[in-house]
Amino acid sequence: MAATADETEEITDASEPGPAPGRRRPGRVALAVSVFGELLITVGVLLGLFVVYSLWWTNVIADRKADRQGDRVREHWAQKGDSGPGALDTKDGIGFLHVPAMDNGEVLVEKGTGTDVLNDGVAGYYTEPVKATLPIGGKDGNFTLAAHRDGHGAKFHNIDKLEEGDPIVFETRDDWYVYKVFSILPETSKYNVKVLSRVPEESGRKKPGHYITLTTCTPVYTSRYRYVVWGELVRVEKVDSERTPPKELRD
Amino acid sequence: MYGWIWRHLPGNAWVKALVSLVLVLAVVYVLFQYVFPWAEPLLPFNDVTVDNQ
Repeated sequence: MAATADETEEITDASEPGPAPGRRRPGRVALAVSVFGELLITVGVLLGLFVVYSLWWTNVIADRKADRQGDRVREHWAQKGDSGPGALDTKDGIGFLHVPAMDNGEVLVEKGTGTDVLNDGVAGYYTEPVKATLPIGGKDGNFTLAAHRDGHGAKFHNIDKLEEGDPIVFETRDDWYVYKVFSILPETSKYNVKVLSRVPEESGRKKPGHYITLTTCTPVYTSRYRYVVWGELVRVEKVDSERTPPKELRD
Repeated sequence: MYGWIWRHLPGNAWVKALVSLVLVLAVVYVLFQYVFPWAEPLLPFNDVTVDNQ
């Protein structure tokens, strides 16, 4: 189409100085309309590309980064060997989350829930507004985590597949922390920071314990509400030399 | 707009098509590398945490 328009124009340009009668160039209005139309098409293509970017490309980038960081954490663990507990190194990540119901392999857990952390395709533990209590150390408290529902690795995309009784396993260098889901809040306000409390009362528990809280956004593709899943520590297993996963992860 | 760009590209139709393709890829690269990462935090699609702000 463009080629024919091109040719006719060249012919008119070459043979006659002005526009030939009956075969005029498009008028101003027609030109404005066509430019406007092209702009609309461009906007449409841009929005389409943005969807491709958010739902696909950010995952590619984030998974790549998460894999690299995860490998680094495992290397660290292998290097330190059995030389005692040592200082907790929180920079590269503190461990891996395994949730069989979400069917997404292992998720690296890092410090903080800012976009700079979460955009690397990891789960972050809260440092604000309520500080998470890490399971390492064995104190009572709530191990609160957040991760993306869509894009940037979408590590908690399948959070709605979790049901009461499903296992959530957190792996550190020395231990497997096996949690069991006991309560789910499918929709809550994003200002509801009480879900992060040491004793999250909305889950039904009134006494201090070893809790884990997963938060992400809901419904999918939006950030209108938050989806919350609570679990409780069932047992802690020592990691053996082959890093044999606990039975919850084996079947 | 696009017609104007096409007319101002050098060479025959094949060369023009090739140059257009390169231009399109360059635009997509700039969008994915710079524009979208900048625009994304401004849009309300990706907040996953609870907080009191």
